[in-house]
Amino acid sequence: MRRLTALTLAAIVATAVTGCATMNVSSHVERGLDITKYHTYEWGPADALPTGDPRLDKDPFFKDHVEGAVEKSMAARGLAWATTEPPDLRIHYHANISERIDIDRLDRDRGYCTGEGCTPAVVSYEAGTLVIDVIDARTNKLIWRGWAQNTVKGMLENQDTMARQIDEAVTRMFASFPRPL
Amino acid sequence: MTLTRLTLAAVTLGALTVTACATMQVNSYVERGADVTRYRTYQWAPAGPQAIGDPRLDNNEFFRDRIQAQVDRRLGERGFEIAASTPDLLVQYHASVAQEINANGVDQPNTDCEECEPYVFDAGTIVVSLVDARTSRLVWRGWAEGSIDDAIDNQTFMERRIDEAVARIMEQLPRRL
Repeated sequence: MRRLTALTLAAIVATAVTGCATMNVSSHVERGLDITKYHTYEWGPADALPTGDPRLDKDPFFKDHVEGAVEKSMAARGLAWATTEPPDLRIHYHANISERIDIDRLDRDRGYCTGEGCTPAVVSYEAGTLVIDVIDARTNKLIWRGWAQNTVKGMLENQDTMARQIDEAVTRMFASFPRPL
Repeated sequence: MTLTRLTLAAVTLGALTVTACATMQVNSYVERGADVTRYRTYQWAPAGPQAIGDPRLDNNEFFRDRIQAQVDRRLGERGFEIAASTPDLLVQYHASVAQEINANGVDQPNTDCEECEPYVFDAGTIVVSLVDARTSRLVWRGWAEGSIDDAIDNQTFMERRIDEAVARIMEQLPRRL
């Protein structure tokens, strides 16, 4: 048990240190939530907010893929799509693309380059964020929000890459979806 | 034994990573001639949709509820009460996140610092405003700004950061004599 804790911590630290190059996934949850009282869900009204990138706005492929991946993850947790009765949960997602910059200091940090000639590389990239909200349909309160962030490079022009990225994002997000205690 | 030590080392390293740049600038503004201490009751002003500037926090109820609960707590400590009907004050908050660059001195012509390098970080700001409910004029405004790198992605750290920010903002509120 103790070994496990130490290993987990080491893994967390390792992730914290190396975590910038890959997909960043996390979530917020309602404190003290009892997930066992929810059994069914329904999709909420479509997102009215623009994504910040016309290539992604109203993209049916993106929408279908996100919804499909979420439905798969919900089914894996035993939550069923409500067809006749009012649902226990409503799901809503939002995608956003925004320009970000990064300053790459690895060369200097690792000693590959020193002194005055060593200019840090400034990298500009498009960061995509997929946010999934799960809402209690009766109280209309948010119970869980998951998100994944990554560069969208090569994603918008290649459907296979996009599909893979969405699958990874949703699967990893739902890994932190609350489980019955 | 070794494992315990390893655990400790990991915890320490983790804590260092987390608190590395946890500074915060806090300040406030009092309307000339206004006396905050003569107000007794308040209500939250109706909040519209919140564009915070980071998709993880836009319309994030957990974030909103945490800030409001902490402001309620601090106002309560100062003897303010939530009004059932007509309040003396309306309370508002606003939050924003923006990516910022710290040039770290490299933009200065005569810097001696060889190791100094610019870096980017996510800067977060929380602003709390107290508005006179009758006149609709701003009476007092306090704010905190700081790096929130890695804070949003960890709910516990985010909550702690909000708690600290709100406590320090409300500390600026003039005290009753």
